[in-house]
Amino acid sequence: MDKKFSGKIWKFGNDIDTDTIIPGRRGTIPTIEEMKQYAFELLKPEFGSTVQAGDILVAGTNFGCGSSREQAATVLSANGVRCIIAKSFARIFFRNAFNSGILLLQCDGIQDVCDGGDIVTVDIDAKTVSVNGKTFPVGEVPENLFNIVANGGLIEDTKKRIAEGIKKLEITPLTDKERRKSGYTLVEKILKNNAGKHHVEPGDIVITKPDMFMVHDIYTTYLLDTMKKIGADKIDDPDKVTIVWDHCMPTAVAKNDYDHYHAGLELAKLYGIKKLHIGEGICHSIMHEKKYARPGEVATATDSHTTTYGGAGNFCSGIGTAEMAAALITGELWFKVPSAIKIVLNGHLKEGVLSKDIILKILGDIKADGGQYKSLEFTGTAAHEMSMMARFTMANMALEAGAKCGLFEADEKTAEYYGMSLSEIDWVRMDDDAKYEKVLTYNVDELEPQLSCPQGVDNVHPIHEILGTKIDEVYLGSCTNGSLEDLAIAAKMMEGKKVAYGLRFIVCPATNKVFKDAIEAGYIRTFIEAGGVVVHPCCGLCCGMPYGLMTDDERILSTANRNFIGRQGTKKTLSYLSSPAVAAATAIAGVVTDPRTMIN
Amino acid sequence: MSTFIERILGKEAGSVATIMADYVVINDGISNAAVDEISAVGNQEKVWVIHDHDVPTGSTEAAGILRKNLEFATRNGCHYVQAQGVGYQYMLNDIIKPGEIIIGGGTHGSIFGAKKALGINVSIPELARIAETGRYSVIVPETVSVTLTGNLQESVSVMDAAMDFLTKASDVKGKVIEFGCPSLDDHQKAVLCSMACMTGAYAAVIVEEQSEQAVVLDLTNVKPMIMMPCASRSEQDQAKIAEKSVLEGTELQAGQIGGYTGGTIEELRTAAGLIKDKKLARGFRLSICPATSKDYIQAMEEGIITKFIDYGAQIQAPGDHSVVTQGAGAMGHNEKLLTTGLYTFAGAMGCEDAEVYTASVNSVIAASYTKLI
Repeated sequence: MDKKFSGKIWKFGNDIDTDTIIPGRRGTIPTIEEMKQYAFELLKPEFGSTVQAGDILVAGTNFGCGSSREQAATVLSANGVRCIIAKSFARIFFRNAFNSGILLLQCDGIQDVCDGGDIVTVDIDAKTVSVNGKTFPVGEVPENLFNIVANGGLIEDTKKRIAEGIKKLEITPLTDKERRKSGYTLVEKILKNNAGKHHVEPGDIVITKPDMFMVHDIYTTYLLDTMKKIGADKIDDPDKVTIVWDHCMPTAVAKNDYDHYHAGLELAKLYGIKKLHIGEGICHSIMHEKKYARPGEVATATDSHTTTYGGAGNFCSGIGTAEMAAALITGELWFKVPSAIKIVLNGHLKEGVLSKDIILKILGDIKADGGQYKSLEFTGTAAHEMSMMARFTMANMALEAGAKCGLFEADEKTAEYYGMSLSEIDWVRMDDDAKYEKVLTYNVDELEPQLSCPQGVDNVHPIHEILGTKIDEVYLGSCTNGSLEDLAIAAKMMEGKKVAYGLRFIVCPATNKVFKDAIEAGYIRTFIEAGGVVVHPCCGLCCGMPYGLMTDDERILSTANRNFIGRQGTKKTLSYLSSPAVAAATAIAGVVTDPRTMIN
Repeated sequence: MSTFIERILGKEAGSVATIMADYVVINDGISNAAVDEISAVGNQEKVWVIHDHDVPTGSTEAAGILRKNLEFATRNGCHYVQAQGVGYQYMLNDIIKPGEIIIGGGTHGSIFGAKKALGINVSIPELARIAETGRYSVIVPETVSVTLTGNLQESVSVMDAAMDFLTKASDVKGKVIEFGCPSLDDHQKAVLCSMACMTGAYAAVIVEEQSEQAVVLDLTNVKPMIMMPCASRSEQDQAKIAEKSVLEGTELQAGQIGGYTGGTIEELRTAAGLIKDKKLARGFRLSICPATSKDYIQAMEEGIITKFIDYGAQIQAPGDHSVVTQGAGAMGHNEKLLTTGLYTFAGAMGCEDAEVYTASVNSVIAASYTKLI
């Protein structure tokens, strides 16, 4: 594939979703070769039979939105499409397309001067696209990423790189002065530092060398399979990898979980991975508790809530299995630099109101797609007053707004948690002259507890609208709110009290350390004496594992991060999300209760 | 000399006795089926509904059963108990008094004999009828006496003695077993009584004075025992029991300590002592299931739970986890589990082709650092 090439245009409008690209009902066709003729069959029925290898798609905004169907990218790739130019791309499609061997270029303007059938010329080195005598700028495409496309996708590229002997990407680290250069958002600063770039801006693609990779047991089987397909006999750096058994451990779904358990052990053995945490708690909590994900560094994992460590100013985002395989082998991972939204939290949180309430309020305001491929960056008095655990809670749920990451500045509290000196990490802060796409300001003084209501994380209501709703089960746990601090808040409210008649109260400490500390502090005793049951640290009910599943029309209130339909029971189970304080108050009362009425 | 059963039922062996039960116990295991057949409860004070099996619920169907049981208890004003652990152990420790009669739908109700109370297992329709009327009729059974002499050797548990007894007991079906076992403590007596009914005996009880015709078994000679997998739940009483040595060296993937046979504070102390200076084998999953909430709290206070956590064990919620089709500790295809639970039928602990073996706490802990029986 040349750096400069031309192709015939197929033109599309805005919001072309993955169902338009390939209808869901075609998704079960066994091979991509058979499936590819149905691409765009509803919108442009002639596409499948007339598209030529090398044709280029030009579209409006949000190309590839809708479901995360990977086939939307692979059918286009199978049809010979090697390049798509659009005003913007949906987040998941963006990664899927590159990894399937399609070059995506963001360009606003070309759409107005071209028609289907025109010829567009792409010049990667010049960073331009030209059509009908007009030329428009596009972002930079790094060499390695271009090679992924040129080699026909990530897996093929990785195979080729192994065959040639992997050449390590040379990165000259920035000096302290360089990384402190002003004018950047948090995400720009961290990515630029890791990639050794002197300047980046939103839309740029950077090749990073993540400082830590985490794989959890849901993906051990698929990862093992992909690694074998690629034929990898070693990985870049086993010391930068940790495997956590938390979704399928304790093994609970008989015919599946054992397989994930054994696959993780095999991965560890094959590739010499030593950082293993088998049934010791939830991966995201372990990542910061063990200090694997550190301020100013880059971490990645095979999970959507990887955004958690952003609470410590760590850039972290979830990736798929194929990407993880390639990244483990090469030690490299590309990211498109996200644009950022600055969220200023003024004022002071009142007793009984927690960081969970703030993030729920924000999610309710900006909705589930309000942060699509953006970096949500938190600052302000309340942000700096928050404990590290409270910050992790918010960063964890930034993902629920579609965000690429949720970042806090590194301050004294961050330094203390990590046992570092502040001067090492205080470059992880927002610059006054940074360019933010938007600034949202909240005064948390007046904030009341919030609840995410059935059935969607962004269906958020202030508690006074929900008070008195009967609840059948309360779940205290998850990587969002399963820390010692969260357990302490609930335990102090529940001491000497009993859970409501018939209500099931389930507690799942986030990690073994939290569990042991909570035993030591007497919190576990309080929960058991109150009539609760305590389960071993794991992802548990949060991800729908069998730790308190519910039946039709029952209501669960949980401190976790998702209340999608059917996640904690049947399609008719109603799920609410809240802070640990609301959870404790509700467990005692049996109906949704404002914790402030119990504290005072 | 009249027997325990004659005294408690007030009639001689062979004659019909009709009594009023002191407790009718319904749980979310098997006996919840009775709820579907009960139109109204006779005496609400005597009916206890206990959530102790699927804790926390492992399926939406299990949640449906809980809903049904809770609504039943609420509607009839019965006792409703949850989050206390295994119903048998909770009732034995906290509720039952000597001389009382407890009727349930399980298999191990004979446990109450350890407290000189009468635990009877009945069919679901009969359980439903008793819940409605409180009345229970039976032809008073014969009694056999068994004396256990001597002391158990170190590393041999009362479970081994009970399994040893099961292999030797003959002609006890439908009868009451009176055990004389002065060397056993209260917990050991409970395990012995509960397992005694796996012979098909009607009930079991601990007595101080023994008939002269008592069968004598010497505890000194008991070896570690193991109960083999069996095909189905209905064939559980025919599961083969042998000396553990016959399977020596069999590779295992998991172990479970729990229930009143493995999860009481006495057993947890034993287990905690045995893991000292040992390391959990890579590839072996160990579940610890305290029998009751009291056992859990006591074990926490003694630092035992923390020791298990550091060892790499998974601590489950108190409850009866001897049958887990979906939930913590479920076993995958072709895996092998060694458990203190008393069910070894295919599918009892997950996949149909997973093999479940029953043995003592000592045996499970030994396996946890060797991965072998």
